[in-house]
Amino acid sequence: MPALSGKPREMPEGKVRLMNIHTQPLRTTAETALIDAFGDRLSLLPGDGAVMLKRDDAIESIKHGLPTRRVESWHYTDLRRLLNAIPDFDPAAAANAIAPIVEGAAVFAVQNGVSSMKVPTVEGITVQRLTDKLIDGSIAPGLDPYGSDDAIGALNTAFVADGYFVDIADGTQLERPIELQNLQAGGQTHVRLPVRVGAGARATIVERQTGGGAALVSSVSQLVVGEGADVTWLIVQEQPETATHLAQFKAHIGKNAKLTLFVMNAGGKLVRQEVIVKTIGEGADFKLRGINLLAGDTHTDVTMVLDHAVPHTTSTEIVRNVVTGKARGVFQGRINVHQYAQKTNAKMACNTLLLSDDGEFSTKPELEIFADDVVCGHGATVTEIDHNHLFYLMARGVDEKSARGLLVKAFVAEVIEELDNEAIVEALEAKLDEWFVAHG
Amino acid sequence: MPAVQDTIDQVRKIDVDQYKYGFQTEIAMDKAPKGLSEDIIRFISAKKDEPSWMLEWRLEAYRRWLTLDEPTWARVHYPKIDFQDIYFYAAPKSTPGPTSLGEVDPELLKVYEKLGIPLREQEILAGVQKTDASELEEASDNVYKSGRVAVDAVFDSVSVVTTFKKELAQAGVIFCSISEAIREHPELVKKYLGSVVPTSDNYYATLNSAVFTDGSFVFVPKGVRCPMELSTYFRMNEKNTGQFERTLIIAEEGAYVSYLEGCTAPQRDENQLHAAVVELVALDDAEIKYSTVQNWYPGDAEGKGGIYNFVTKRGDCRGHRSKISWTQVETGSAITWKYPSCILRGDESQGEFYSIAVSNGYQQVDSGTKMIHLGKNTSSRIISKGIAAGFSQNTYRGQVSAHRKATNARNFTNCDSLLIGDQCGAHTVPYMEAKNSTAQFEHEATTSKISEDQKFYVMQRGIPEEEAIALIVNGFVKDVIQQLPMEFAVEAQKLIGISLEGSVG
Repeated sequence: MPALSGKPREMPEGKVRLMNIHTQPLRTTAETALIDAFGDRLSLLPGDGAVMLKRDDAIESIKHGLPTRRVESWHYTDLRRLLNAIPDFDPAAAANAIAPIVEGAAVFAVQNGVSSMKVPTVEGITVQRLTDKLIDGSIAPGLDPYGSDDAIGALNTAFVADGYFVDIADGTQLERPIELQNLQAGGQTHVRLPVRVGAGARATIVERQTGGGAALVSSVSQLVVGEGADVTWLIVQEQPETATHLAQFKAHIGKNAKLTLFVMNAGGKLVRQEVIVKTIGEGADFKLRGINLLAGDTHTDVTMVLDHAVPHTTSTEIVRNVVTGKARGVFQGRINVHQYAQKTNAKMACNTLLLSDDGEFSTKPELEIFADDVVCGHGATVTEIDHNHLFYLMARGVDEKSARGLLVKAFVAEVIEELDNEAIVEALEAKLDEWFVAHG
Repeated sequence: MPAVQDTIDQVRKIDVDQYKYGFQTEIAMDKAPKGLSEDIIRFISAKKDEPSWMLEWRLEAYRRWLTLDEPTWARVHYPKIDFQDIYFYAAPKSTPGPTSLGEVDPELLKVYEKLGIPLREQEILAGVQKTDASELEEASDNVYKSGRVAVDAVFDSVSVVTTFKKELAQAGVIFCSISEAIREHPELVKKYLGSVVPTSDNYYATLNSAVFTDGSFVFVPKGVRCPMELSTYFRMNEKNTGQFERTLIIAEEGAYVSYLEGCTAPQRDENQLHAAVVELVALDDAEIKYSTVQNWYPGDAEGKGGIYNFVTKRGDCRGHRSKISWTQVETGSAITWKYPSCILRGDESQGEFYSIAVSNGYQQVDSGTKMIHLGKNTSSRIISKGIAAGFSQNTYRGQVSAHRKATNARNFTNCDSLLIGDQCGAHTVPYMEAKNSTAQFEHEATTSKISEDQKFYVMQRGIPEEEAIALIVNGFVKDVIQQLPMEFAVEAQKLIGISLEGSVG
């Protein structure tokens, strides 16, 4: 919609905002830096002819400019304005190894954008380095961005150099989680993590996104859930306050398969996590549970596009946000129900606790429905802590600060407790405590 | 009349092929040459006998418009509009400002009679009642039959007559066409015109600012409760014309006014453009209630013809404790692009939006509202009901935002959609933006078809299927219907009777 509500937050002085007026903007510093970096890196990027062609296409789309708020899917995250510094690649830097969140998990780490030669062996799964898959071109078809406004996909396709390709064989029942770590060490890191879960298999996969520098990170996870498989995927993002984290999670869910995606954002300066999911087989079920813990002056955006493409599929999404400091949070969720996707049952809720006067939260829960025999709903709330709840606790002798802490924690912990793996619930609650200690 | 029969009749009436107001009137017209240029704007301004500041205002808007691009963000698709192929001014020849009804072309009066709009105030004043049973039946079609309603009748580009002016003047209320207001009350027009929707607001509002031809002007002075409902009836008649009306309503401190708007157009194969701007200003403690029953020609069953309805409506709750309430029943137009909004500037001001949008055939509706909370302790409420049938696309698009200083802003939004048939689409695109921690926003939306359980429950009590569905649909839109003035509620009830064929079985 045309912006009526206010002026852009930080327009450089002396510039007039011209609504609707078509202008051919000059390239920003970040755009120029990305294009130059591509030229410099080109000879070092792995890939056969097909892959290199995809890279060329991708950088072309970046040459057309990063998305602004005029691009509907980037309405609340004006990437062109927010992305202002691009760090150089730093091949010499080393990332510190970290322990998995659940003890005993099989760890596959990408350190400073490079996968390891030595990876643990787990029965039933095959892991390959993504560099090899780029060189032989076998993953070229999966490199296409999602659409013309897919800036993260394009950025990643242009620069991706490594990652892991994980294949979980049909019927494999994994006892312990697999943890895929993307550990940045400043500079730039562009990683891709394609995972295939075979029919009837069962797996828990943890995706860790963290590191120690003012990095630019792009990370794309691609998951295919086979017929009747059951996958729990957790994204735990704890970038330092200086990092830019642009991530995408794409999944196809097969017949009678189940996917539970848990996303926790607790860090980063500029963060965008896209979740793009499609149900492709009848009986598919998708659950999204998200927690965004926003502090400092982070700008964190979670954008979901869910396609119910076939009949008889279900989904529920619950996203809880806590906003403190000068943080800005965004949740956009779009549920598309295709014309033949009758008997779809989809529900989405986004609840936000806005705890500071300088914080802000914007949400856009959309429904696009082309089938008539469906039940779809969404709800969204933005509010402060309920004074009655606070009073209840304080009347029982709990001081205000602790009472607030308890209520806020309960608000997000509810989402974690739904997960049916005790070790993971414990690990995530520990993460939650860590955040509350650090951000009071 | 048995309820089933009643329902079936309702369905027929709303069916795109059964557009009741599709007749066309042969009347001598005075037209500007086709197309748009500075000369045309000078022509319109001269026709209206406008002061030079108004012409300058228009020209400035026009120059601005030339630099703008047509917006494409709405979920509507249509071939590009050729603005040089439209008549921007068309007026019935015989109306150089008639002073009494006697001077109005009888052909014109016939049009309004056919539409059921009472322009003969003396008849109503004298309390002439129809006694014949068949006439009673006919009279019940007339939405304005009960109570007294002052009407401003706008025919293509000009207002042909405004009723009850004298009586309103006694109360201090100014109700006239905007052209008249520009001539008679320039100080008010200068002060308020463009103060809510600036000339640079958006593509169609800018176009409207340049070429608007007529519309209504209402001014309710301090402390006055307008003694009757005010109403404007818009009729598009001439082929290839665009209608660009401009309405400005001002309620001073403590004033109250309820305003109704109705619209129809003949049935034609070509699309016609209607780009209106409505501005409401409510000062301290004032209240404006604005109701619309929009029934422009929606096009035929194949999606041919129909009106493009690109409208900018915005209310400014400028004063403390002011209130603006929008109620709309949208059943017509091939394409609707309309977001009646409230700017809640004054402390403790309130905004309301109640909407029913019914789409059938190949209609495309992209409608909703904006509630911009700026003042302290402001509240807003949005109830939107969309019903999509046939091959139509029905979108709710709304924005609720609380600015930094808008402490204790409250909003409740509820938008429900009902789908009838599997060829149509229903979409919900709400935007919620909170920049104040004391804001409390709630939004809920659902989309479904009529639940089998509900239907079963009703039918189990001996009510036939069609009637059961009608009952459920009526219940679905009840929240909004209740907000309409009595006279409109009857009309609206009829309009929302929807094609049941698709949903049975």
